[in-house]
Amino acid sequence: MSETKILEGLELLKHLSLVFGPTGSEEEVADEIIKQLENTDAQIIRDRMSNVFAVLHGKNRPEKTVMLSAHMDEVGFIIKDIDGEGYIRFGCLGGIDSRVLCGRKVTFRGKEGDVSGVIASKAIHHQSAEERKNATKANDMYVDIGATSREDAESVLLRGDSGTFDSEFVIFGENDGYAKCKALDDRLGCVVMIETLRRIKEEGIELPFDLVCAFTVREEIGISGATAAAHRFRPDYAIVLETTAIADLPDVPKNSRVSEVGNGGVVSLMDRSTIYNRDFVDGAMKIAEENGIPAQIKRYVSGGNDAGHIHKTADGTRCLAISAPTRYLHSASCVISIKDFESIKSHVYAILTSYQF
Amino acid sequence: MEHKIDLTELTLSLASLMSVTGHTRYSKDKLLELVSPYFDEIRETRLGCYHLIRRCGKENAQKILVDAHFDEIGMIVTEIKEKGFLTVTSIGGMDTRILQASEVIIYGEGREIYGVVGSTPPHLQKPGESGKLKDITELLIDTGYSKEELEKYVSIGTPIGFRPVYTKLRNNKIAGKGFDDKACAAAAIAAVAEIPADELWGDVYVQLSNFEEAGGFMSGAQTGAYEVNPICAIVADVDLGSTPDTKKSETVPLDGGVSLSTGPITDKRLTALLRKLADEKEIKHQMSVTAGGTGTNTMVVNLVRNGIPTVDIGLPLRSMHTSNEVISMNDAAAMRDIIALFVTSPEIEKEVCPNE
Repeated sequence: MSETKILEGLELLKHLSLVFGPTGSEEEVADEIIKQLENTDAQIIRDRMSNVFAVLHGKNRPEKTVMLSAHMDEVGFIIKDIDGEGYIRFGCLGGIDSRVLCGRKVTFRGKEGDVSGVIASKAIHHQSAEERKNATKANDMYVDIGATSREDAESVLLRGDSGTFDSEFVIFGENDGYAKCKALDDRLGCVVMIETLRRIKEEGIELPFDLVCAFTVREEIGISGATAAAHRFRPDYAIVLETTAIADLPDVPKNSRVSEVGNGGVVSLMDRSTIYNRDFVDGAMKIAEENGIPAQIKRYVSGGNDAGHIHKTADGTRCLAISAPTRYLHSASCVISIKDFESIKSHVYAILTSYQF
Repeated sequence: MEHKIDLTELTLSLASLMSVTGHTRYSKDKLLELVSPYFDEIRETRLGCYHLIRRCGKENAQKILVDAHFDEIGMIVTEIKEKGFLTVTSIGGMDTRILQASEVIIYGEGREIYGVVGSTPPHLQKPGESGKLKDITELLIDTGYSKEELEKYVSIGTPIGFRPVYTKLRNNKIAGKGFDDKACAAAAIAAVAEIPADELWGDVYVQLSNFEEAGGFMSGAQTGAYEVNPICAIVADVDLGSTPDTKKSETVPLDGGVSLSTGPITDKRLTALLRKLADEKEIKHQMSVTAGGTGTNTMVVNLVRNGIPTVDIGLPLRSMHTSNEVISMNDAAAMRDIIALFVTSPEIEKEVCPNE
């Protein structure tokens, strides 16, 4: 058995982001997370659908439970058909804009290992004037794995096999301030939870509540493992750690940008699945301000996350969401600011240690 | 035959160079380092073509032109915006549907800068917007720099190319940028470099031409061929590979071998002869029929001076003009072998020089 290497910070983010984990196939991510939790004091539970829970009991059998939650799955692909010439027809796992598909590399997990391919449609030379203006639909594209026939393709892949974008982790920009990869949504949230548990141990503190870190499955298709997590622990409070799509691009008016990369974690007031607990939101923003931690309020009602399930499970949970502002979410090239990653870790720790739950 | 040049390695080395049309000099030093061991002389033409010359050693030798274009599609910067976002326009027939979320390198002054082609997230799009394809001038490239810092390295007109990352696919196929046409250039170089000089029937000029992708005027190949004044020419370019959404009549399948173009502008007798010789040598080849222009440098080369008998050969390629063009190295090897055959065969020599 190979020895587990405990990784930290950006190295851990890189490692987890590169693990294969499209919606419905989160097992490898779960395995890696459990390894990385080894040196914390948390009790590890893995449920039937592969949700992972790290439970840290508080001082003197506390009454309250606080849950942190982040999802392990990433947007990806599932093979719906393999045609006579060995091209792969696929469906998208999660919401992917068809315009970010064409030309990207993908990796399918076959029975004997990974198979590389390129998402393609007909060459520009064969597109009509009309076709050149309109986006190609995902179901008009196919993955080219270099197969010579259906039999050749089926020797390595089958219908129902899943895939992800094939994308390297790249640090770039001025002063190496940005990171680009697939799956930062939401391995970033997973890393924040792992590093929060480690910091609690390092600082030797005992929390006055039970803390549950829920690493959940199937967020991207909305039929989420977070529901089971919330039901199992019935938390009084939950903080969903996420990434959120932003558009801080030139020419986009400020009020439509959602937030700005580099200005700290984004705290939501409202999105398409949840209206957040206002006292919790205000308290979190106040803690950020008092501690000099960058944080920003989400300026636009868009998106949704596991809070949509958690806040209404059983008798309800007061929810907060803190997200890393992320450019080009749900593409092969998600971009985050490394400063924001650090800010979010500090913010979550500050909330756990100073908010009056 | 033992090959001293690893064709895949040479193909990837050439393809990964920056050679956006009009900016081919950027990689001149690296190119020369790669190819100079194999040639007797290298010349650069006025319009930025390279002639890699291999001499046969005979007196008053005939000249054979082997053309493959070195330039590739790309982009140039049109504006530097706040937060270091760039607007761009394309050089060559860029397939804009593959751009969003792709990775690029901005070839700035003294610094190569990584960038991601930006996109508006679906959550923030207006209804109906996702069906429309953005024009290239509406796209933004994200560099992660501040405008002020970026302006130290980047200005209007700075060239941008796809990030060279290559992936092996099944059955000896590879995916990545720049195979159009540097995979053919690699096949030509490998073919000519490996042949003992006394087996060549003439002096061979491998022409790495410029300006093939720029709007179809192909001025590099035209003026380069004028300068060489060859007795005949073989033009090697990529050919549109078959896909499920294209007609068989318009494409050639990958792994079908090197394609030989048949139509009004290619030399009929030479093409037929080369096909027969390739059959004898068991070099895998297929026919590619074009009713008019071939879309390659053959269109200009065959009309240089008094007219140059030209054979047009193709390397089947899928996803042309994208960052992940797909080729089969089996076809590339066949292209190398057929070029070697062309420049060594006494029958070809006899066909183009009947009086000697």
